[in-house]
Amino acid sequence: MRSARFFALACVAGLAAASAQAIDFGSIINKAIDTGRQLNEASHEFTPEEEVALGDGLAAGFLGAAPLRKDPALQRYVNRVGKWLAMHSERPDLPWTFGVVDTETVNAFAMPGGTVLVTYGLVKRLSSEAELAGALAHEIAHVVKKHQLQAIQSDKSSEAWANLGKGLASDAIARRGSDPVGLKNWGASAGVELLKNGVFLRPLDRSMEYEADKLGVVIAARSGYDPYGLVAVLEMLAQTKSDGSGLSVLDTHPAPADRLAELESFMPLVERGAARPQQVQARFRKIVGP
Amino acid sequence: MVNRLLAAVLLAALPWIARAQDQGFTNRSTELKASGAADSATLATLPENTPVKVLARGGGWTRVEAGGKSGWVRVFHLRFPAAVESSSSSGGGLASLGSALGFGHRNEQARLATTGIRGLSTEDVKNANPDPAQLARMQSFRADRPAAERFAREAKLVEARIEVPSDSGKEGSR
Repeated sequence: MRSARFFALACVAGLAAASAQAIDFGSIINKAIDTGRQLNEASHEFTPEEEVALGDGLAAGFLGAAPLRKDPALQRYVNRVGKWLAMHSERPDLPWTFGVVDTETVNAFAMPGGTVLVTYGLVKRLSSEAELAGALAHEIAHVVKKHQLQAIQSDKSSEAWANLGKGLASDAIARRGSDPVGLKNWGASAGVELLKNGVFLRPLDRSMEYEADKLGVVIAARSGYDPYGLVAVLEMLAQTKSDGSGLSVLDTHPAPADRLAELESFMPLVERGAARPQQVQARFRKIVGP
Repeated sequence: MVNRLLAAVLLAALPWIARAQDQGFTNRSTELKASGAADSATLATLPENTPVKVLARGGGWTRVEAGGKSGWVRVFHLRFPAAVESSSSSGGGLASLGSALGFGHRNEQARLATTGIRGLSTEDVKNANPDPAQLARMQSFRADRPAAERFAREAKLVEARIEVPSDSGKEGSR
């Protein structure tokens, strides 16, 4: 609608100019169309299908570097905790998928569309399901708020964005012929691209991390977990050091002490609504180990 | 008053976690309370930077030992300094230091792991070949709604209706 109006305006302006100075009318129209297209790409609203395809592409790339931990009971467990939490988020119906990857690095990663990867290095440092819920709910909050998508889109200067936009355009054409394979292929190549050029691995804005902490504790509390689970995780992180990998939570997030300071005034607001908060330590120990 | 009483009852119902016997410090002058409730008796006033040993956690309170007394301190009134890092990759020195400080076994092990084993690096991820088989395997572990609901019931997780408080209104716009 807006671009149509813009186009019309450009035409009127072009006509006025042409009557006075005989300007090349065609080039003005082309310029208007180009500008309109750029604007559309910059504010492209990803469909849920596009989000999922992109998330799958990113996850497949990530799993190529860090495979799943070979522990089906642990994988199923994390999916149950994660799904229960996601059901209490603002986007319960995404195809939520959770995976524990086998690396010592301590971190968790959210992909658009509802895939969350958490490292074994993080899981083994936790001591209750409420703490695991705190970490997972933070990632779920990133997906709900589409933080990763915003970060990718704000990187318009990069070649990645140009490729992504091109891919979306061709994909849109492909899907007019209802071609889910086209979408999947686009997601796979876009995912690889965003990992290779490092766009996806860049830290998010601090404001997004603080927002994910806050929405995360709300999601955990809605799900019946002690919302202070995340606080305990942050206290644990405050005592750990980055392993120098560049991908440690301490490299990619604000300092734990700063995150705790942000939560201090917020927690009482959440706590008020919590029903019967649970830690669920025994079940966690049984699955993750003593 | 009723609310406060309710809070105290709820807090008492939490199974207190004795994870890490972490060593922390008060980050401000704060009161050591007889229980995890603001209106419980004050046992002592701890000045800023008082060393405390964590005995248990849960809710907004942490049970600590400070100067021979044990009691409850507000979670946010404590700070935890980063672990001491050894320059060598062998864990012997750190392990004994850990025991001397009374750290929990599990936590100590977890910390040591970061000194010797190299984790996942940015370059590893940039150079990785996508693994669609791993993706499919991960998706095979997905839980559906009924499974998640059963799982929640087993742990007596009670849902609560909570709106996002307005404090979180700082939208992550870039």
